[in-house]
Amino acid sequence: MQDQTITSESLLPDNFFSVAFDAAARAQVKQAAVWAKVCTLCAFAGYGLELIVAIFARPDYTTETQGLRIGAFLKMGNIFGVIIASAIGVIINYFLYRFAVVTARGMDSMDIGKTNEGFNNLRVYFKIYGILLIVALSLGALVLLVAIGVGLSKR
Amino acid sequence: MENNPEESLLQMHVDYEGGQILRETVRWSRFLSVAGIIGLALCLLVVAFAGSALLAALSRVAPGIDALGGIAGAIVLTAVLIVAAIFGFLVYMLYRFSVLTRRGIDHQDQAAFVEGMRCLKIYFVGSGILALLSLLSNLFSLTKLF
Repeated sequence: MQDQTITSESLLPDNFFSVAFDAAARAQVKQAAVWAKVCTLCAFAGYGLELIVAIFARPDYTTETQGLRIGAFLKMGNIFGVIIASAIGVIINYFLYRFAVVTARGMDSMDIGKTNEGFNNLRVYFKIYGILLIVALSLGALVLLVAIGVGLSKR
Repeated sequence: MENNPEESLLQMHVDYEGGQILRETVRWSRFLSVAGIIGLALCLLVVAFAGSALLAALSRVAPGIDALGGIAGAIVLTAVLIVAAIFGFLVYMLYRFSVLTRRGIDHQDQAAFVEGMRCLKIYFVGSGILALLSLLSNLFSLTKLF
């Protein structure tokens, strides 16, 4: 009987850590995954709505002077900007969606491989956000430096 | 943290790969949360020192604000504080997720690990509610279009 006893250690050959997704942690992660999915679905729907608003919005004819179709040009620019922003948003939120779906599946089936894959998607999601933030901050700092330089040169 | 075998069988232990993934996840989430806290603090400083100029600019965009007189400043300040408190809470939850999960993995602390996951859940619950409100706002702008 002693030999037939299955211990948790023998079931877990890759057990480098003593921390685990126990019942409490699994419940928290599952709820996090549900709300992450809500976030992504709202984001996807929002991008679609923004695109509709940008396409069907009336161009500002008050800006059209001397035969120049500035209003229509601004509208095209707005549509182009919304498409670019939506594409970036969809790419980022796709990783969050994958986190929500795969992690929930991993939690339900007690599959550490799927759970790792899910958290890897969350890692990519945060990483893309972080890189975009660094780029935005760098551009902001550049604009600030240029503004300071222009201000000093005018004195 | 000692567990009996029955409890351990219902657990899914974090393996080496999972530990590395979680470590990098919390590294990026900590960066984002710290940047968010600094950004919120800067916004509050701008409102504190340039509040009257911002209110004047706002009254040019929405002329109805002038009719409110002195109450307008208090309303705008309250709105700014509420928004800052909501976003501050979410960013703080993201920070707590990164700190507690990192502590849980580094010190093999199961309680900290579970608490970290709870903070991640709260962060996503808050973000989900804000996303729903944002979607409703988009729907409202769509109804104005037609």
